[in-house]
Amino acid sequence: MNPVLTEIYSTVLQAAPYVIGAYALIFLVLFVYVFIIMRGLKKTEQQMAVLEELLAEAGGAHK
Amino acid sequence: MNDTKKAVRLPEAGGMWDKAAPFALLAGALLATLGFILTFTTAPLVLGATVNGVELIGDQMVSNKLLLSQKIFYFHVPVAIASMLALAFTAYYGVRFLMTKEARFDTCAKTATETALVFIICTMVSGELWTRFEWGVWWTWEPRLTTYLILMLLVIAYFILRNAIDDPERRASYAAVFGIITFVDVPICFMITRMIPSSVHPVVFRTDSGMSPDMLVPFLICFFGMILIAFGLYRLRFRQARLAERVALIKEHLED
Repeated sequence: MNPVLTEIYSTVLQAAPYVIGAYALIFLVLFVYVFIIMRGLKKTEQQMAVLEELLAEAGGAHK
Repeated sequence: MNDTKKAVRLPEAGGMWDKAAPFALLAGALLATLGFILTFTTAPLVLGATVNGVELIGDQMVSNKLLLSQKIFYFHVPVAIASMLALAFTAYYGVRFLMTKEARFDTCAKTATETALVFIICTMVSGELWTRFEWGVWWTWEPRLTTYLILMLLVIAYFILRNAIDDPERRASYAAVFGIITFVDVPICFMITRMIPSSVHPVVFRTDSGMSPDMLVPFLICFFGMILIAFGLYRLRFRQARLAERVALIKEHLED
């Protein structure tokens, strides 16, 4: 390969893992946070459903 | 006094903003992906040190090293700005809490700070990889890095403080004040490159930034994408926090 071109592109390949790593980690952090929120939301919705059932039962018992 | 309290409009989950949140998250993800593609396709590589010679690449004569590492910038800056914007909301809701003593504003402030922390982690991770490649070190006490590290530590301290106080009202008051203090570091961090010029962090937001349209377009797409993602995440987390608060309230009533 042309030595000038080799020098021009000399840092590109070396930088690639860092660039890929930076983008991958940003996406990973955001996905993990979305996952945590969705899991929390699902769990809280389940708790709410159980409580609604309990309240309905308690209401029925009072009648 | 009661009339004043009644007039306060409290942020609530399940309204217009929550309906828009999934679309904002989706639009943000699409914009970020588009920006990512453009970054590696249309945005040119920036020039580094001069080489011994000149070559024709495409339709341009190049006599410098081409730097791929600068591509980190297209996501690094937007996530950093998103973290700062989220902290502005922390301070805003902190002030609102101190004015009204409404717990809802504390929930909003906590959610905004949590969103800020996520984006701070993204900024630190991407910045560290850039630093490691360009300078061969994981850390250096450069002004922007130092002020941003302080910001991250303050945000972590915010959550430590919250966990250390049991009484909800005291916790909310302390957290509101601490959130406002944390926000003070944001303009310092933003302006530090202007106050103490450094070769590492250029002043990006200026009228003569020298970014060509090929670079500016992907950058702006990534920027708006990240802002939309931050908004979507905030609303989603706020919805979950409000639901958890309601569950706790119903449990309390049932126990009574």
